Amino acid sequence: MTSKFRKHPLAEYVDILESGGALLPDSPENVLEVVGILKSYGVVLEAYYKNLIYFAEHQFLIFFPFFKYFNGEISAKKLLRHWWHDRINFEYAEYCMRSMLWHGGGGLDTYLDSKEFLGISQAVIAAKFKNNPIIMGMNQLFPDFLTEQLRVCTYYSGLGQFWRVMADIFLSLSDRYDQGKIKTISQVVDHIKAGLVENANKPITYSVKIRNKVYEIIPDSVGLTFLADTALPYVESIFFRGTPFHGVVSYNAQAYQIPPDQSRFQYGALYADPLPIGGAGIPPTLLMQDMRHYLPNYLHEIYRCSRRGEDDLLVQICMSFQKSMFCVTTATILGLMPHPLDTQDQDEQKANRIYLQKWLDRLQNSRLQDVNTPSVKPQS
Amino acid sequence: MLSALILMPLLGAALIGFLPFGMTPKLSRKMALFFAGIALLWTVVLAIQFRPSDVSQQFAEFFPWIDALGLSYSLGIDGLSLPLLMLSGLLTCIAIYSSDEAIGRPRFYYSLLLLLNAGVAGAFMAQDLLLFFLFYEIELIPLYLLIAIWGGERRGYAATKFLIYTSVSGILILASFLGLVWLSGSTSFALQSLNANSLPLETQILLLLGILIGFGIKIPLVPFHTWLPDAHVEASTPISVLLAGVLLKLGTYGLLRFGMNLLPEAWSYVSPILATWAVVSVLFGASCAIAQKDMKKMVAYSSIGHMGYVLLAAAAATPLSILGTVFQMISHGLISALLFLLVGVVYKKAGSRDLDTIRGLLNPERGMPVIGSLMVMAVMASAGIPGLVGFIAEFVVFRGSFSTFPVQTLLCMVGTGLTAVYFLNLTSRAFFGRLSPQVMNLPRVSWSERVPAIALAVLIVIFGIQPAWLVRWTEPTTSAMVNTYSAIATLSLVKAKSKS
Repeated sequence: MTSKFRKHPLAEYVDILESGGALLPDSPENVLEVVGILKSYGVVLEAYYKNLIYFAEHQFLIFFPFFKYFNGEISAKKLLRHWWHDRINFEYAEYCMRSMLWHGGGGLDTYLDSKEFLGISQAVIAAKFKNNPIIMGMNQLFPDFLTEQLRVCTYYSGLGQFWRVMADIFLSLSDRYDQGKIKTISQVVDHIKAGLVENANKPITYSVKIRNKVYEIIPDSVGLTFLADTALPYVESIFFRGTPFHGVVSYNAQAYQIPPDQSRFQYGALYADPLPIGGAGIPPTLLMQDMRHYLPNYLHEIYRCSRRGEDDLLVQICMSFQKSMFCVTTATILGLMPHPLDTQDQDEQKANRIYLQKWLDRLQNSRLQDVNTPSVKPQS
Repeated sequence: MLSALILMPLLGAALIGFLPFGMTPKLSRKMALFFAGIALLWTVVLAIQFRPSDVSQQFAEFFPWIDALGLSYSLGIDGLSLPLLMLSGLLTCIAIYSSDEAIGRPRFYYSLLLLLNAGVAGAFMAQDLLLFFLFYEIELIPLYLLIAIWGGERRGYAATKFLIYTSVSGILILASFLGLVWLSGSTSFALQSLNANSLPLETQILLLLGILIGFGIKIPLVPFHTWLPDAHVEASTPISVLLAGVLLKLGTYGLLRFGMNLLPEAWSYVSPILATWAVVSVLFGASCAIAQKDMKKMVAYSSIGHMGYVLLAAAAATPLSILGTVFQMISHGLISALLFLLVGVVYKKAGSRDLDTIRGLLNPERGMPVIGSLMVMAVMASAGIPGLVGFIAEFVVFRGSFSTFPVQTLLCMVGTGLTAVYFLNLTSRAFFGRLSPQVMNLPRVSWSERVPAIALAVLIVIFGIQPAWLVRWTEPTTSAMVNTYSAIATLSLVKAKSKS
């Protein structure tokens, strides 16, 4: 470790990661919390990805997609449930999609600005609005409008495909925990890392069908893959950068508290303050509300026994979720290590250390130290 | 019939205090609630049977007591006392319900609460000056003990200060009553038999001065107010509820019943001074409230300001302003009780009332969203936001007083603006923003803690939307009071002119 970094408030975590540990300390309580919350997250992600992919494939270039959350099953009963708000908050998935679109990064972002994509998008638009001269005329006047809509649809698909993999990873983690195969945080991290590595080169493609003809918007030949082109941009956009919405992180744009440079944003899941969760207009509240319905009994029981019982359930879920996201981050960090952790080569060790220091430097203002203090306290 | 309102709580107090067996803390509380509830129900029955158009004392009871002294046991109610009796009954039930279940020496505590209720009810119904004085004094003892035994850290100081002030108040009132009876040549203390109009104006003013200062201490009016913030800060929440909600009203009730009613000539003579005194009280109370960091102290100073409105309206003595006094008394009783209840819940959960410490309590998950919302409503009511009882009360007071004292009324209206200032400060500091670390892990607020506050909030809204339900009980009585007052005041003016 460089002498400068020794004074870093998170310096100890470099040693922890190098010795095979995780950003979250290992304890039976943490394992239970993380696995339990990832199980409910997995169930919710499954619903999210199905809707995202449904939208991308069946609602693309529809200007007023009134029934976009119905996954094609429209009935009076479902409509009433929707109005009663007894449903999954798909809005949260869209919020994440927009964040990814806004922050960009990765091959998907680059591809969407390429000439190849522009060519394909014009072909798709021409096919979709073949019999609609008004829209085609508008497309001539404002050529960016429909193209941008298609970019949005592409991100719907990209995020949907990413979450399809992640949902499987989290649900299988829960299954293995139920079977007694997961007992430590390191095993949780290993499971996630293995899932990421296994799917790292999984191709990301996107095609739509218009009048029985298939249009490949992201053809396999572009070479977009799961890890580099969706997972990493997702981690960057959602875990790190996020967006400065009111409530989760206190900010004041007029006092220049929001950095002008998007890459310096620190409003993501790893930095978010869980306390305002529960308030209206705060996107993570939607996710916590969804996860609340799918909590495993063992985790729900712990929350019930806490000081405020179920009164602050959403905040407790958010705190557990944040812990789990530090496990996912650990898996990502370890999965992208330039050299094996157990390397004996000093140059490789040095390169690894510099790599870890860079990550931890970014986590300096995160809630890493907060999640390392016990949050769920049984009622005395 | 009326005696039941005194006897019922007295019986409850005696049973809880002296029954030798089986009186667990829980049973004491239930019994206290039972007897207070019966008394409240009885008041409701009386209210149903009450004939609003009849301006005489209704359900009157009269028993000669000590003839030699001219003391009689004489009770009656009219449109002035009935709403206050209802308020007293309701707030006593709420105070008992909100009392800590694990309170120390529960038998003594609940007995004293019921004794206090009996004393207040007796004072509101008494139709004999001496009888009123007896009930007025009876109510002091339980209140002193309730602060001195179950109060905060400086309870001894606060209780003693309260006792000294209110004893002086009692002495002045008694002196005025005695002077009134002896100088007017009456042989009885019965209200109906008293006629002070034959007394020289100077004597009337002197007697009124005693009444004004005596009840002014109780209300309290500046500069006799210093006991109140201390008493509120040290008293437990239920006692603060009763103190602000009911006991201060004894002062304003006394001013109207014995000041304006018995000494109208002097009242009319000093009324400009009273209106100016009201302005001082309102503005001083509001200014002090702005400077407070203790939520309870802020509400206490707010009480001082708001009771000033009653004095302004009483000084104006128009039909509308006197109706406004009753409205303001009821409105302040409900709103201040709600505010003290809510501050009590905050203190119980957060362990602090310091506005520098507490922040973000409206947090939907970790804070007190229901309590916070009720607090926002309560401060809106106190600041006179339309749709709530505070608006009706203040509007009637100002509308009724403006024709007589326009400048003073306008200055008092500034007090309403200041109310918004300090209460917005309170809500924005304590309830908005991110939860401060000190209150991040608050225990949950149970429904039993919310119910009394919700009940008061409902009444504040109901009377805000439908004030006519209160007016129909009171208006004929207050109009009759003003008619009598105006006739005598005009007559004295004519006499004075003819003399000159």
